[in-house]
Amino acid sequence: MITRSQMVAGVTALALAAYVLNMVRRRRLSEEYSVLWLVATVGVTVLAFWSGLLHTITRLFGALYDTSTIFFFGFVFVFVGLLHHSMKLTRLENENRELTRALALERARREEEKS
Amino acid sequence: MIDWTRVLITVPAYNEAENLPVVIPEIRAAAPGAHIVVIDDCSRDTSREVARSLGVPVVSHPVNMGAGGAIGTGFQYAVERGYAVAVNVDGDCQHDPRHLADVVGPVLEGRADVAIGSRYVAATAYRTPLVRRLGMLLFSWVTSRFVGHPIKDTTSGYRAYSLEVMRHFQRELPHDFPDAPFLIALARAGFRLLEVPVEMRARERGESFFTFGKSMYYPYKNLLASLIVAMRPGRRARRTS
Repeated sequence: MITRSQMVAGVTALALAAYVLNMVRRRRLSEEYSVLWLVATVGVTVLAFWSGLLHTITRLFGALYDTSTIFFFGFVFVFVGLLHHSMKLTRLENENRELTRALALERARREEEKS
Repeated sequence: MIDWTRVLITVPAYNEAENLPVVIPEIRAAAPGAHIVVIDDCSRDTSREVARSLGVPVVSHPVNMGAGGAIGTGFQYAVERGYAVAVNVDGDCQHDPRHLADVVGPVLEGRADVAIGSRYVAATAYRTPLVRRLGMLLFSWVTSRFVGHPIKDTTSGYRAYSLEVMRHFQRELPHDFPDAPFLIALARAGFRLLEVPVEMRARERGESFFTFGKSMYYPYKNLLASLIVAMRPGRRARRTS
């Protein structure tokens, strides 16, 4: 018997997966970044329809409620995602700095050659 | 007697259109024959045009890269052209070019790899607000611990660098505040630091880039970066001189 909350979680996860895949199809999201989101939607779907697994994980973690387990995984997901993007931003910033400097020096070189 | 033709004077400028017509002639008078380049850090005013009208080559960043970014560009410019020494003179007129020989001399003569124009190794007329002075004392203490001898002015940008230093750090310079962490990194790479007394002047025209937000972020960033630099394995530079 599928409960209403399972239906809501399942439909939401499927809608998110469809949205992510569509973003990849339209080249607005790279395959690399889509992995994290698709893994999250699969995780939500599995936990929504396999309540036994959720209860087991909750017991293993020593949590009292299933919702605590879900919030814990949600927090880990957001933390990992943000950390990953901060690292990406740092790399992009360094690459951007290198490019900016190379462009500025090249322009100066050309101006010196002209004058 | 200094051979100024071996020296590059880099003048980082961010919105310094009012100050450049003052500082460039001062540099020319103090260092005849030295090559000057203005590193325009994407100014919103006419700094670029003013520098060109003064007959000075300009390297113009298409986006703002911060004080360290401008110094790093100066390093690459100097390395590509093989200058023996590059000295940084800020475009805001705070660094008095009359001390150029004092700052450049030790590096050109091989007595140091980096010479720091310091406000605190001799009595000068420069007055620092108390809170800022306390912060400087903290960073001086931290830097001195790692460098192995006292460094009193960690925030002075009035510095001369040898070609080896510039080769070593042209891609690794902190982009925002090249202060205490950079000095520690220099010492860990085996470079010799020397402080020489200079007079500095208060800014008279234009606006300081040091906003309230930056002054709050500065101690956190520099303390963390200093510890991180000290924790990294020291990459020793090969010294040929």
